[in-house]
Amino acid sequence: MNNPDNPHAWLKEHGDYLYRYAMSRLHNEELAQDMLQETLLAGWKGYDKFAGQSSIRTWLVGILKHKIIDYIRREIRGRNLKDAVESDPTSAFFNANGSWSEAPNAWKENPEDLCKNEQFHKTLELCISRLPEKQQLVFRMRDIVGEDTPTVCKCCDITSTHLHVLLHRARLTLRKCLNMHWFEKGTDS
Amino acid sequence: MKHACHYASRLASDSLDRPLTLWERIRLKLHLSICNNCKNCDNNLKLMRQINELMRINDYGHIRLSEQQLKHLHQALDSDTKA
Ligand SMILES: [Zn+2]
Repeated sequence: MNNPDNPHAWLKEHGDYLYRYAMSRLHNEELAQDMLQETLLAGWKGYDKFAGQSSIRTWLVGILKHKIIDYIRREIRGRNLKDAVESDPTSAFFNANGSWSEAPNAWKENPEDLCKNEQFHKTLELCISRLPEKQQLVFRMRDIVGEDTPTVCKCCDITSTHLHVLLHRARLTLRKCLNMHWFEKGTDS
Repeated sequence: MKHACHYASRLASDSLDRPLTLWERIRLKLHLSICNNCKNCDNNLKLMRQINELMRINDYGHIRLSEQQLKHLHQALDSDTKA
């Protein structure tokens, strides 16, 4: 095939880039490879929709992004977590007067070391997977995948205010979980 | 101020997603200057954000598709594009 507009040529030209993009968001080789394959194929099938207003790489990244978001959505749904009408879980962290019921402490470890620590990775993933469905979805899209807020709102069909509420809940819950299972582990008296 | 810490934690979280208004910034700053708990929480949230950002860029900057993966992908594309 001499035509540069075919998935084999894209794989040669952009394969590593797209693979890294998928890996850094999915942390799983097999999955990243599957997403890459689906992306190239979708790109090939929908090539007539590519009008050339952006580079082919940008266009392929856009497709990959959607594939990843779809995957996360399916994955969370598949776990069958119920999003029962929750009372505001953040209130559990505070007394009636709005002060902390359990004082947060300073975390001493530095982010460079932590992000390379596989054990920490596991702990983080465990804590995230315990979040209720909606919180988990928005947290993964916003903070793990790194989407901007308008994209997350659009994908989850929620207002930005609702997004901020959900992220606040997710982050405080995660903070507590990480504190308990990592930062303060074993230091309890 | 009533519910001060609860509100401050919300502003600390929001600041990761949107620019705070001037008034919100002042309130948060004032509160953090007198409340160690919220300062810790704010730093914890920022650290969590930083770790996730680092994981996206750091970890995989060097990786490439292996020969085997490339072979597999080319084959898969072949059979799919011909189907
Ligand atoms: Zn406070």
